[in-house]
Amino acid sequence: MASTVIGAGITIEGEVTTDEDVVVAGTLRGKLSAKEGVTIEHGATVEADVTGGSLVVAGALTGNVTAAERVDLQQGSRVIGNVKAARVTIADGAQFKGNVDMDV
Amino acid sequence: MASQASNLSVIGRAARVHGRVTGAVDLEVQGYVEGDIAVGGDVTVDGGGMVGANVHGRRLVVRGAVKGDLLATESVSLEEGARVVGDVRAPRVAIAGGLVRGYVQSGDVQGAPRAVVRAVAVARPAPAPAKAPVSMSAAVSAPQASNGTPAKKVAPPPPVSAPTVRHVEPAPRAISLGGSGSGAPAAKHGPPPPVVPALKKGAKGALKKKA
Repeated sequence: MASTVIGAGITIEGEVTTDEDVVVAGTLRGKLSAKEGVTIEHGATVEADVTGGSLVVAGALTGNVTAAERVDLQQGSRVIGNVKAARVTIADGAQFKGNVDMDV
Repeated sequence: MASQASNLSVIGRAARVHGRVTGAVDLEVQGYVEGDIAVGGDVTVDGGGMVGANVHGRRLVVRGAVKGDLLATESVSLEEGARVVGDVRAPRVAIAGGLVRGYVQSGDVQGAPRAVVRAVAVARPAPAPAKAPVSMSAAVSAPQASNGTPAKKVAPPPPVSAPTVRHVEPAPRAISLGGSGSGAPAAKHGPPPPVVPALKKGAKGALKKKA
C-alpha cells in the first residue's frame, strides 16, 4: 500500500511533495512531486503539474507530467497536458491531448 | 486495493503538503502538512506527523505535533507523544498524554472561546481609559484649588502623585527600623518636590547676584 493516499472525498489545494509512492483517488490542485510511483485512480481529479518516477493515470489529469521512468495512460483516463518520460503508453480508450516527449 | 485506498486518506511519512486539505472522509497524517485541514471525518496525526495549521474534523486523535487550533465536532484525544501548541475545542476532550500549550475547552460551546478571548482583550485596554478619567478629574480639581495661586499650578500635582507612592514604601521600613533616623528620611521625602524649585529659584538669584 502506498505511503500517501489522497482518498476519494479528499481535496488538497496546494503542493504535495514526497519521496515515496502516492495514490490519488480524490482531488488535487496545485503541484505533485514524488520520487516513486504516482497513481491517479479512476474518479480522481488532478489539476497539477506532476513529477514522479513512474506514473499511472486512470482518472482525469490536467497539467504537465514528467516521469523519470514511464507514464501509462490507462483506459478511461483523461489527460490534458504535455507528457515527458522515457517510456509512454496510451491505452485504447484513453483521452489525451498534449505533447509527448520521450526524451530520446 | 483501489477501494481500500479510497476509504482512507494518508499523508505518508515522507510526504509534505503545503496547502489546504479538505474533504468529508477520514484522514491520517504521518508526514508534514503546512495548511489547514478541514474534513468531515476523523483525523489522526500519527507519531511522526506534523501539522502546522488548524485542524477541523469530527474526531481528532493526535500522537504527533500540531501547531494550530484543534476543533472537533465530537472529540479530541491527545495521546502519548502529542505536542500541541494551540487551542483545543471539542464537546469531549481527552488528554491522555503529551504536551499542550493553549486554551482547552470541552463542552458543546463552539466558537465561544474566541469570543471570550476577544472579550478579555477588550477588557484589558478598558482599565487604561478608566485611569485616564481619574487623572483628568484630578487635573480638573487641582486647578480649582489653586485658583488663588495660579503661579504654582504646575508644582502641586507632583506632590500629590509622588508622595502617595513613596509614603507607602517607607512606612514599613520605618516600623522595622524603629529609629528616629528613619523618621527623618520619611520627612525628607515629603518636602523635596517643593524644596527643589525653591532651591532653583534661590540658586538662580544667587547666580545672578554672583554674575
